[in-house]
Amino acid sequence: MKKYSPTLTVKIWLAITASILITVVFSFMLSNLFYQKLYVENVEDALLAEGNRLALDYEGGPLSDEIRKNVEWYNSKNESEVFVVSNPRELSACLPFEIDYETLIQPQEREQLLNGEAIKKMGYEERFDREIMAVIIPLLDQNRLEGIIYLYVPLAKISELTKDFTYLWYIAGLLFMVISFYIGTILVRKLTKPLKQMTDAANRVSQGDYSARVFIHSADEVGQLASAFNHMSSSIQKEDERRKQFLANVSHELRTPLSYVKGYSEALLSGIAKSKEDKEKYMSIIARESKRMDRLVGDLLDLSRLEADEFKLEKIPLPFAQLVEDSTQKYNITMNEKGVKLSYDLDPDIIILGDEGRIEQVIQNIMDNALRYTEKGGISITLKKFRGGCSLSIEDTGTGIPKEDLDHITDRFYRVNKARTRANGGTGLGLAISKKIITLHGGSLKIESDWGKGTKVEVILPIVQMKE
Amino acid sequence: MKWFIKLMMVVLILVLTSCSDDQYPSISEDQNVLITVNIKDMSVSFINVDTKEKIAEWQMEKPYTGGLILPDRDTLLLYGKQLDNVDLFSLRNGEKVSSWELGKGIVNGKLLKGGNQIAFADQSLHAVRFYNTIGQELEVVKTEANPLTLFENQETEKLYVISFNAENLTVIDENSTKKITSFPIHPSAAGAVLRENQREIWIGGHGEGTELESNIHVYDTVTGELLKQIPAPLMPINFQEKDGFIYVLSHGSNTLYKLDSEGKVADSTKVGANPFEMTVLGESLIIAGYDSDDIHFINADTLEITKTVSVGRGPFQLILRGE
Repeated sequence: MKKYSPTLTVKIWLAITASILITVVFSFMLSNLFYQKLYVENVEDALLAEGNRLALDYEGGPLSDEIRKNVEWYNSKNESEVFVVSNPRELSACLPFEIDYETLIQPQEREQLLNGEAIKKMGYEERFDREIMAVIIPLLDQNRLEGIIYLYVPLAKISELTKDFTYLWYIAGLLFMVISFYIGTILVRKLTKPLKQMTDAANRVSQGDYSARVFIHSADEVGQLASAFNHMSSSIQKEDERRKQFLANVSHELRTPLSYVKGYSEALLSGIAKSKEDKEKYMSIIARESKRMDRLVGDLLDLSRLEADEFKLEKIPLPFAQLVEDSTQKYNITMNEKGVKLSYDLDPDIIILGDEGRIEQVIQNIMDNALRYTEKGGISITLKKFRGGCSLSIEDTGTGIPKEDLDHITDRFYRVNKARTRANGGTGLGLAISKKIITLHGGSLKIESDWGKGTKVEVILPIVQMKE
Repeated sequence: MKWFIKLMMVVLILVLTSCSDDQYPSISEDQNVLITVNIKDMSVSFINVDTKEKIAEWQMEKPYTGGLILPDRDTLLLYGKQLDNVDLFSLRNGEKVSSWELGKGIVNGKLLKGGNQIAFADQSLHAVRFYNTIGQELEVVKTEANPLTLFENQETEKLYVISFNAENLTVIDENSTKKITSFPIHPSAAGAVLRENQREIWIGGHGEGTELESNIHVYDTVTGELLKQIPAPLMPINFQEKDGFIYVLSHGSNTLYKLDSEGKVADSTKVGANPFEMTVLGESLIIAGYDSDDIHFINADTLEITKTVSVGRGPFQLILRGE
């Protein structure tokens, strides 16, 4: 059986509803309490003040008839019940004799009254057979309790008053709840709508529609989530396009040499090439193009291996200047032929931790490019140490790279000259591979160029610190 | 070592204080003292009646309501309705010397026959219990419910018992400890004076229910006939006869009446607050104010208050150890 799990909408709605309900009930209870307390205190204070004013008439000695009559008269005009008691029995005067009689004043109350303190009490009073709130004022002649003034209000009167208040509260509370539910529902819908949009968009992305976007412009968390989602889907889209482009590039790069190989081999087979020279020429073209393909496939393999995390460098300490010199030695002949001068300025003390073959590959890639685009002038190689690392810069006086292409020069298959043929070109992967290798060594590759003046490629690598 | 000394001192103090738990200030034998048993704060106050000063106050551990002094002038016997025991204290030594197991319900005690016997009013057994002064029970005489007031005709050695609720007066022969007679009286009766020569018993009371007693009821000692009622409002509950006058204390109106033998008011005065107790000492009356927590020395002739002494809270009974 599938477990029921409520949607976010339901959850939020439930939370809002619950908090509204709790708020209403709680505030009702609180205000009822305060109202009663305030009202009761008010009545109590009024009774006390009333009693104290009446008690002012008493001037000591036995209670006079005048006071009794006055209080009786007052009682007839007044809302609360007021009466005077002077019967010592009612005042618990016979207490130690345990007379079997329910006195109006309890023994401990008598003590309090004897101390001149008024008594306030609330609750059921057997004498009146109802719930009352009472105030008792002592009439003391020195330390003789000559009598008391007893004032009380039935509690029913107070609860009647609070009844009106309660009805008002019920109506207000109900109205408040209806409005709150309505607003709450709208709010919840507004809150969860972008989430629904995002779910739909995510579904579209997972089905391959990378152009899916959500259109939410709020600045809150949901808005941030939406913009993060949009960013993600656009990244996926770009990556997808790059992948497609790459595949197209690869097939394109492979198709040219393949068509050479196919064409010339068919020519050879069908006997179009009659002369021995022609045959040899065809064969050499086939050999050249297969070598290109081999190189291309080799580079692709390298790149994919480098990009996969499994690639392991075999790092050993290398004297960098020596390595640079050795790997550029072979270009001497070509450069002499071209009339390009090669100059060195190498700091021989620099030792780096690196994979010899790979570093050599990087130098060769850069040198290949430099040589390819430099017709006259020279190439200068500088190796310098700086704090924490070293920089190898290879500067040529070649054609240079236009500014708009500089950022993409290390992309795979990126060519500055789109129309350039494969004849003088490499695989288009050299710089991409170089950059990857340098990055894996913990370094960086920087390319600066002025169109028409030359290019400077700078490799920055960490060095091995020599212990003094 | 300092802490050890401190600890020892604390232990010593604890031991000493626990030892002195039952130790009260001593009351020397040669003083004439008035003892008040105070209900509200469970104390017993001692007043030197010659100097009219309070000399000591004992804070008791049990709610005693009354007591008496045994003929040895040293043993103070205290009882209380809620207590299982009657406790005896030595005034000289200031400590409890003995305890008699009478059970709950003892509300009054009276020395009879010049001090050889004690009669206790027991509201649990609804009886008067006769004891000798060494705590041996001699006899139990059933009375009507809730006996309270005890008074004695010393010449004829008759004990009069008024039951508070039963509207009945019982007369017991002290020698045979047998009921001689009993006759109906008014309800909630308390306090009485026997005027054997006039064949009259004057009995006061609190009144029943909402009714407040305003009169002294005078009965014939032999027939039990109600002879007359003497107004003495409100709630006359204590009587003393002296020099031909009857002094009546009405606690409801805090009034002391001085009546002649016919019941005419010769004089009256306000005294104390809610006074219950009165005793005679020489030419003075002593009255305890239950709510005013004091005792008043009153000139019996002029009814002037000569001295007021504060005592513990709620003095309910006066015990005199005179000459």
